[in-house]
Amino acid sequence: MAWTAGIRPVGTTNIVAYGSSMRGKDVRLDKVSIRFGDSTAVQPTDLAIHAGEFFSILGPSGCGKTTILRTISGFIEPTDGRVLIGGEDMVGKGPNERPTALIFQNLALFPLMSVAENVAFGLEARGIGKAQRLKRAQELLELVALDQYGDKKPADLSGGQRQRVAIARALAVEPSVLLLDEPLSALDLKLRQHMRTELRSIQKRVGITFIYITHDQGEALAMSDRVAVMSRGRLEQVADADTLYAEPATPFVATFVGEQNVLRGRITTLADDVASVETPIGLVTGRAKGALKVGDEALVMVRPERISLGASNANTVPARLVSRNLEGPSVNLLCAAAGQNFTVTVPNGPAVRDLPEELNLSFGLADALVYPMGALAHG
Amino acid sequence: MSTATDSPGARLILNIYIGLFVLYLFLPLAVMSAAAFNSFDYPSVTQWRGFTLKWFVALANDQRLLQGLVNSVLVALGVIVVSIPAGLSGALILTRLGQRSGTVLYSVLVSPVLTPGIILGISSLIFWREFGVPGGLFVAVMAQSSFIASYAMLLFLARLQRQDRTLEEAALDLGASHTLVFRRITLPFLAPTAFTAAVVAFLQSFENYNTTVFAIGGEWTLVTEIASRLRFGLSPVINVVGVIFVVLTLLAATTYVLLKGKPKRA
Amino acid sequence: MGSLARAYGRPLALTLTAILVLWILALILVPLGAMVQQSLWWKDSAGDLSLTIDRLYNDIATLQLDAGNATDAAKKAALDAEIATKQGEATALEAQELNPGKQWGLDNFTRMSSLHLYIFVRTILYALMVTALALIVCYPVAYVVALASGPRKAIILTVALIVPYAINELLRVYAWLMILDYRGVINGVLGWFGVVDLDNRGWIPFLENPSAVFLAMIYTYVLFMVFPIVNTLETLDRNQIEAARDLGASTARIHRRVIIPHAKPGIAVGCIMTFMLSAGSYSVPAIMTRGQGGDWFSQLVYRQFFESNNWNMGSAYAVSLLVVCTAFILLMMRFFGVGLRDIAK
Repeated sequence: MAWTAGIRPVGTTNIVAYGSSMRGKDVRLDKVSIRFGDSTAVQPTDLAIHAGEFFSILGPSGCGKTTILRTISGFIEPTDGRVLIGGEDMVGKGPNERPTALIFQNLALFPLMSVAENVAFGLEARGIGKAQRLKRAQELLELVALDQYGDKKPADLSGGQRQRVAIARALAVEPSVLLLDEPLSALDLKLRQHMRTELRSIQKRVGITFIYITHDQGEALAMSDRVAVMSRGRLEQVADADTLYAEPATPFVATFVGEQNVLRGRITTLADDVASVETPIGLVTGRAKGALKVGDEALVMVRPERISLGASNANTVPARLVSRNLEGPSVNLLCAAAGQNFTVTVPNGPAVRDLPEELNLSFGLADALVYPMGALAHG
Repeated sequence: MSTATDSPGARLILNIYIGLFVLYLFLPLAVMSAAAFNSFDYPSVTQWRGFTLKWFVALANDQRLLQGLVNSVLVALGVIVVSIPAGLSGALILTRLGQRSGTVLYSVLVSPVLTPGIILGISSLIFWREFGVPGGLFVAVMAQSSFIASYAMLLFLARLQRQDRTLEEAALDLGASHTLVFRRITLPFLAPTAFTAAVVAFLQSFENYNTTVFAIGGEWTLVTEIASRLRFGLSPVINVVGVIFVVLTLLAATTYVLLKGKPKRA
Repeated sequence: MGSLARAYGRPLALTLTAILVLWILALILVPLGAMVQQSLWWKDSAGDLSLTIDRLYNDIATLQLDAGNATDAAKKAALDAEIATKQGEATALEAQELNPGKQWGLDNFTRMSSLHLYIFVRTILYALMVTALALIVCYPVAYVVALASGPRKAIILTVALIVPYAINELLRVYAWLMILDYRGVINGVLGWFGVVDLDNRGWIPFLENPSAVFLAMIYTYVLFMVFPIVNTLETLDRNQIEAARDLGASTARIHRRVIIPHAKPGIAVGCIMTFMLSAGSYSVPAIMTRGQGGDWFSQLVYRQFFESNNWNMGSAYAVSLLVVCTAFILLMMRFFGVGLRDIAK
């Protein structure tokens, strides 16, 4: 198997020795906005990424996340605002003058150079002698378990191996910030999942700042210390994975990260942060998110796994079971109530094997999040 | 020799037509080659006076033709020196220009390809006389380069369109200077095309007559020398030159077919 | 310039730009400008001037004779003065004769003799005919090559087309010269059968007929017609042809409605190249006619430069040819709706 060699565990001793010379730096976007001609790619954005953090930017394609990455790496000058790396203003500095290294989506390995030459290229650019830079390249190839492949051409390697070469090449220049532009998207599912843990462990050991761009929420949530969710050139929310999932700040984040049951309705009462909403299935109470007024149209979001069977919670809905889809450890129940579809995820077990056709769904006040309707318009 | 979509009758007619066409292409060359071995001193195949190689000897002793050959090679090398950097610069700049300014520049750079060769020769002749340079090998190099550089540029442009721009970006990102990126990434990528362009430039220059005849002044190349001799009558020595060209071309073509015709691994 | 500096860095961007500017200026635009400028001026023909000078010297000679015979001192002085004046005039005119002043205008174009104008128009018509004939000859060839099945077949066909073209243009013309000459292959074969009598110069003068030039010219430039058409036809989906046949269309209709419309850009490019090459060809008519058949315009241009030594007139002829070729290219581009980028495939 070609790729099994690729997922050999990464050696730890070398990386510690090597990583000791690397220091992560913080990255700050100060009112950065980017326009191409008439179209705005990135709205004015403030963002602070901490030194040594694994930070992901998650969003659908075209949301501006790659533009932000290319701005940090220096390929794009922001139209307004400035980028600071380690407190230093990067205005006017080209990509070859910044303490960043970028791993491209297609990896961009140099096809005419050997693997070792690829890894040594950044050192060549720094005027380091041939013998010395090839020795360093060999160390880095050991680090990514490719020390036998230095003389090969990138085209002779498997996808996972090429991935590692790209990582080694980027680490060779000892960057303070490593930028990754969806580098796993070309790999098959199994390898992708393996590379997630591997990337995370490399980051932990070298200790530099990783900024990871992806449209795959699984990747972002699994690897990152913090995640920024982007939509239409705007940062929707910056938070750690748990907060993002449990307390999405906007309906876009709520629906983009994980699954949601969405109800439309009108707010009838509002007290502190508890809102009552008149919906097709009756009055629902939940926690108010964002600026709401009585009489406003609103969206109520409930995660499938927060709904339980039986009438034990603040909100109860009688429903009819339409279908039952086995997912393995859990079961998805598709239910209908007053023309409204619900997905309910419950743990698999004997209790859910023989369910009646008519059942009650219920969810607590804390499980229903109420958002203003207008906020979804830019989702 | 024809497509599966035509009826058998149409296919037959097309095949006969193609056969005649190939005959039209090759028969004159065969006739020209055969006459080189006829000892009759007017190049002919109908008046056969016996097989001879004496015209080959005559060519080997023909100082003007040999000097013409040397001059042709010199001019062709000069054309390579001028037109490859020019074509390369044009292509590199065009790929980075916006649509509007790019189109204007493109039109100017391609226009020599669409200009009759004699015009290029004449305008170069007049231009260089202003600097006191009379017609000769130098002016011939300049006149030919004006359009051969365009061909080179088109070859480079086609190659650049297939270039992965992220390779240059990756190199820059790793800290390389623009010069290093150019030397290590861009040039190696373009090297095969530069070779092709040099071969094309050499062949174009070597066989050029319409432009050269105006720019060459008192000097001569192999081709202009042959042309001026044809005014005074035909000689089998010219056929010998023809035979040499035919043999070289057939050798090159056979090599090409053998290389290309090999079944490729999937 | 900003985007270039960003892409290649300042030193490299400057070098590339410098080379490009040199190419455009020294090889393309300024030489063209120099030729146009050359076509717009002329020097007064010295003929009238030398007549005037001759007359002055005649006058002076007469006056000197008179002065020699004159007895009256006052009359002699007057005659001497007159001689001095005429001498002065003559010297001034002689200087002018040696270095005539430039005159600017379109006279080089308007003074084209009616014979030359006739040859000009005829050359354009000939070039159009060569283009049309080449299109007719090449279309079926391009069709077969483009739709040939099997990669090997296509390669062999392509090589069969390319081989003759890798051989010097001049030698290809020469081959035809050999065939069509008075003692050429055709007359030779006819001589075998007693149709013509070579010994008594009873040959058929093929070369004196303009079609000899046509034949060699099509032979020389046929590739420039075939390849653009092949290039466009190769992109034609064969299912379209089969679908049309399936729908009951005749072969002629399939070509008219499916194949030719698809090949249009290639046809346009082929016609542009063939017309430009044949209208501007010096080699083919110069070698094939050898002064026996009718001149082509390019031969007139050559003679203006290297026989009459009238570069101004020659430039004007060249500019005229360039204008016609450019107009033809623009017309074809407009008519077939192709852009410059299509032409340079």
